[in-house]
Amino acid sequence: MAGLAPNIPPHVKPEQVFAFDIYADPRIGDDVQGTYSAVLKEAPDIFWSPLNGGHWMVQRHDLIAEIVKNPQVFSAREMQIPRVENPPFMIPLSLDPPENVPYRHVLMPKFSPRAVADMEPKMRAMAAEIVDEVLANGACDFVADVSARFPVSVFMEVMGLPLDKLREFRHIADTYFNARTNEEIQRISQQIFAIFNELIAYRRETPGDDLITHFLTVDVEGRKLSQDEILAMCFVLFLGGMDTVTNVTGFTFQHLANDPELQARLAQDPSRLVEFAEEGLRMFGVIGTPRLVVQDYEAHGVSFRKGEMVLSALWQSGRDDEKIADPDRFDIDRKDKPHLNFSTGPHMCLGHALARAEMRILADEWLKRIPSFRPKAGAKHGFRIGTVIALESLPIEWEVA
Amino acid sequence: MVHIRFEQPDGSSQDIDATVGESLMASAKAQGVEGILAECGGSMVCGTCHVYVKEPWFSQLAAPSAMEADMLDCGLQQQPNSRLSCQIIVAPDMDGMEIAVPQSQR
Repeated sequence: MAGLAPNIPPHVKPEQVFAFDIYADPRIGDDVQGTYSAVLKEAPDIFWSPLNGGHWMVQRHDLIAEIVKNPQVFSAREMQIPRVENPPFMIPLSLDPPENVPYRHVLMPKFSPRAVADMEPKMRAMAAEIVDEVLANGACDFVADVSARFPVSVFMEVMGLPLDKLREFRHIADTYFNARTNEEIQRISQQIFAIFNELIAYRRETPGDDLITHFLTVDVEGRKLSQDEILAMCFVLFLGGMDTVTNVTGFTFQHLANDPELQARLAQDPSRLVEFAEEGLRMFGVIGTPRLVVQDYEAHGVSFRKGEMVLSALWQSGRDDEKIADPDRFDIDRKDKPHLNFSTGPHMCLGHALARAEMRILADEWLKRIPSFRPKAGAKHGFRIGTVIALESLPIEWEVA
Repeated sequence: MVHIRFEQPDGSSQDIDATVGESLMASAKAQGVEGILAECGGSMVCGTCHVYVKEPWFSQLAAPSAMEADMLDCGLQQQPNSRLSCQIIVAPDMDGMEIAVPQSQR
């Protein structure tokens, strides 16, 4: 980050240092996760980057699992790199176990495999509508016109957010993920809280079968949730629901656009879409999960010191050649597709069933209507990196019948 | 060590040596029992280590906690003898226990 001098504390061994700028490393190219994996082949499994204030980075599947399953040492209470004053507080994400558990169980019924199955017809209708809108054009920007719209529409349906606010919400989420300074993060957080305050007030008067109404009425260990608790939960769900599925779906379709054989196969046999979505998740992870070291800790020859940040690069977990052969090859027929892109442990992504269903349903409704498509030649796609990886655009085209 | 048999939906079965004092999920994962995903690693937040416990063992298990019962309610293939294998701590009297693995975990 501009303005911060490189930082190498004395307890970091020289061989553990690998300078990598998580926000702007010039070695990352259009094949974002592929180039990431290639660049980090030169780095130790756990390394210290002196940039962005200085922080640890962990890149192996099993080591990441170790970090995220040890909240006594690696706390989720701060998730900003570099650290900021008054970091955003998110429920249940910022709470270490056991404090996060009751909140997880409040949320679970609305994100469970059962709830997702109940929602499937509605999700199909939404996906169909979005694809139908671009169908006759013979071309679209898949990110802006499809993958940004679908997960956000589904999520807003779950939350009971008015769909006419979609673009405004999307814009705020984008700004949030691009924010670096404390002032920016605070300012955007306030905008998000204002939107949810408005919505909570509305649902107090007009209950529905949405998540906000559930928050207002659910009993948590004999009491009701406070306004602040509801806001803190909305905050993390809002950010998580906006950006993550959009990006994984975008990267997965970027691959699919270049693979006509796979398009034909999936269009002919939609039962393989579960495996397609899972392989997309494995190959194109978009989330890194930061932790704050809260007590000095020695492991794997590394001295983690209290107050240091550790970034678990979840997108590396599916590319780990110790877990999977030929990790950079997209192959839906692999029996095992090991990855931690939903993390693991007490903070494992609550939305994993929903995300998987969204990817499968969108691909299904897309291929039913557009079984063959290709990237628009010469178009620049663009990407951004950080603790979230995003694909900025995916111009594609197809023959109109 | 106690012997525990896992039956798969296709009728095949696998016997494992489970470690007394550890969770059934941990032993099943360590010995590669198919269909036990345990994606959250035993934190009771994912429900992907779901199993059916056969009688007479099911009735001999301590009842599930309220949290485990909540998680089981969220699944798609729940039966009266459903449990999360991460919440079953292997005991000597479980020797010979028979477990069925559900068709899918999500």
